[in-house]
Amino acid sequence: MEIGGETFAQKFDLFTCMQCGKCTGGCTVSLKSPLNVRRMMREALIRESSDVVLTMKELWDCTTCGTCTSRCPRGLDPAEVIIAMRGILIEEGRGVPKTIMEALESTVKNGNPWGRSRMKRTEWLQDFDQEVKDLTDGKSAELLAFIGCTPSYDPRVQEVARAFVRVFNAAGVDYGILGTEESCCGSEMHAMGEEGLFEMLVEENLELFNEFEITKMVTISPHCYNAFSNKYSEYGDVNFEVKHYTQFLVDLIDEDRLKLTKELGKVVTYHDPCYLGKHNSIFDEPRKVLEAIPGITFVEMDRSRERSLCCEGGGGMMWNEGAEGERTAVVRVRDAAEQGAEIIAVACPFCMLTLEDAVKTAGYEGQIEVKDILELLSESL
Amino acid sequence: MDIIVCVKRVPDTSEADVVITGKDIKKDDLPFEINEWDNYAVEEAVQLKEKFGGTITVISVGDEDANEVIRRGLAMGADEGVRIYDPAIEGSDGVTIAKILAAAIKNMKYDLILTGAQAGDLGEGIVPVALAEMLGIPHATLVTGLEIQDGKAKVKRELEGGLMEVLEIDLPAVIGIQTGINEPRYVSIMGIRKASKKEIKLLGLGDIGLTPEDVGEAGSLTVLEELSVPPVTKVAEIIEGDPAEAASKLAEILKEQGVL
Repeated sequence: MEIGGETFAQKFDLFTCMQCGKCTGGCTVSLKSPLNVRRMMREALIRESSDVVLTMKELWDCTTCGTCTSRCPRGLDPAEVIIAMRGILIEEGRGVPKTIMEALESTVKNGNPWGRSRMKRTEWLQDFDQEVKDLTDGKSAELLAFIGCTPSYDPRVQEVARAFVRVFNAAGVDYGILGTEESCCGSEMHAMGEEGLFEMLVEENLELFNEFEITKMVTISPHCYNAFSNKYSEYGDVNFEVKHYTQFLVDLIDEDRLKLTKELGKVVTYHDPCYLGKHNSIFDEPRKVLEAIPGITFVEMDRSRERSLCCEGGGGMMWNEGAEGERTAVVRVRDAAEQGAEIIAVACPFCMLTLEDAVKTAGYEGQIEVKDILELLSESL
Repeated sequence: MDIIVCVKRVPDTSEADVVITGKDIKKDDLPFEINEWDNYAVEEAVQLKEKFGGTITVISVGDEDANEVIRRGLAMGADEGVRIYDPAIEGSDGVTIAKILAAAIKNMKYDLILTGAQAGDLGEGIVPVALAEMLGIPHATLVTGLEIQDGKAKVKRELEGGLMEVLEIDLPAVIGIQTGINEPRYVSIMGIRKASKKEIKLLGLGDIGLTPEDVGEAGSLTVLEELSVPPVTKVAEIIEGDPAEAASKLAEILKEQGVL
């Protein structure tokens, strides 16, 4: 099987795979989906033609959480093999779920996968009492705050974007946004296998960042962070340094620039987002930030850090129904309830949405709240 | 089987605050796309080609920006792209657009012409009917099913009240495609980039035997006099209360109106 003139075997070093099955064994969705990562690795190696991919509906069940990749004893990247197989479907134009197509087409047209107008990207700032510098209005700042599509448009996650502003303003950070010129980072476009679209977004974004002479950036979403930090350099010259906001805040707290005074008085657990944890090994920073909030009793869920259970929000799953059966986010909410948590703290827009839904499904409404770390900080200011 | 598909590039106003400037809306900030109905028409053509072989030509009347939707058609599986343009065509009505298309198409080889049933911007639905009349061939509009057998087409047409009619028409014919007839495939960015290497043939009015007097406002039967946003009327009722209460109120209203 080939992709872009190269065999899967060469591109992903598939002869190295010893078919041990640790990938499938750890897979988030393998209990409810026919997705069998170990088998995919084999198929990609031995099949002459890529036609077999056309029948693999389960390719769209993968959340690209990266558990398979992090568990592989041979250091292979099964998640990227699945993404490349999706790429075959994308280039064929067939076997792509309609809702995925719509998300991709929206990104081509509007620069975001949510089907919303580019001109409304800053609607989260409407009737907001805080000041935010818009670099596209000719203002300058030391740091670019990359807001991201979901915090820009989703009504629930817009609150997280506003909490970001309150916290960063309170700490006196000199930052600005790119207003309606900000576009999708492309993380999920890559994960859905739309390599051409990802490449196009990388080119356009790098050009935009260069135009505004961006040297430092902070993101709200771990997905944007991962794309900028790990993927962009494969396509062009990255002239900026990027941090997820939890990394940035640890430094602010260490320097005593963030005054957290109000006691929250809550039992809080933390759900590791895959794109921060498994993909980037950022485990300590979010916990350090949470521990700095006065009046928090921090409890750890059994499955945490590298073993954290994916919420099923990544890999394009925000725009796709995925495998039938109980949502892992529901399992996750029960994990949190077991520890007596009143708040599940998250650090990713997708985790926010999947877990908040799951709180309702699992019947914990009124008992457990899902809050972004930024919101907890904002409440404690 | 040689198929010609007529496509149009239209603005997406679904989320826009529509601003009127003179006889047009302000389009600077609007995203553009292939007319939704035309997308189904191109897909239908590609599926027919996959079944019967032959060629597909995508044709559009418009300035250079129209190349975008022609290229998309090429990426979907069309073989050739044709664009017709002259500054004089600005202000042409639907019948005149059909006149321009007919003048170009009459010199081409075809067994079938597909168009969208209507366009997402003006929504007139004139082109398929007028084009067929000018070419002297039969037509069918609002087509939701198309089967080709022995030089004839069996078409399903959507009628009012959920009715459907099935017609048999001789080919060549113009078929106005309704949305939902198929599931248009995804067109990838790489696919479009590859397709942009194909040359799009540009035709001027002289190439198709028309003069500036034949097109634009001068050549049109209708002339746009004024454009306005319809007045907002108050018929919306906001149902308040908690979700359970609101849902039962809503169900009651739906029952009263005979929907449930």
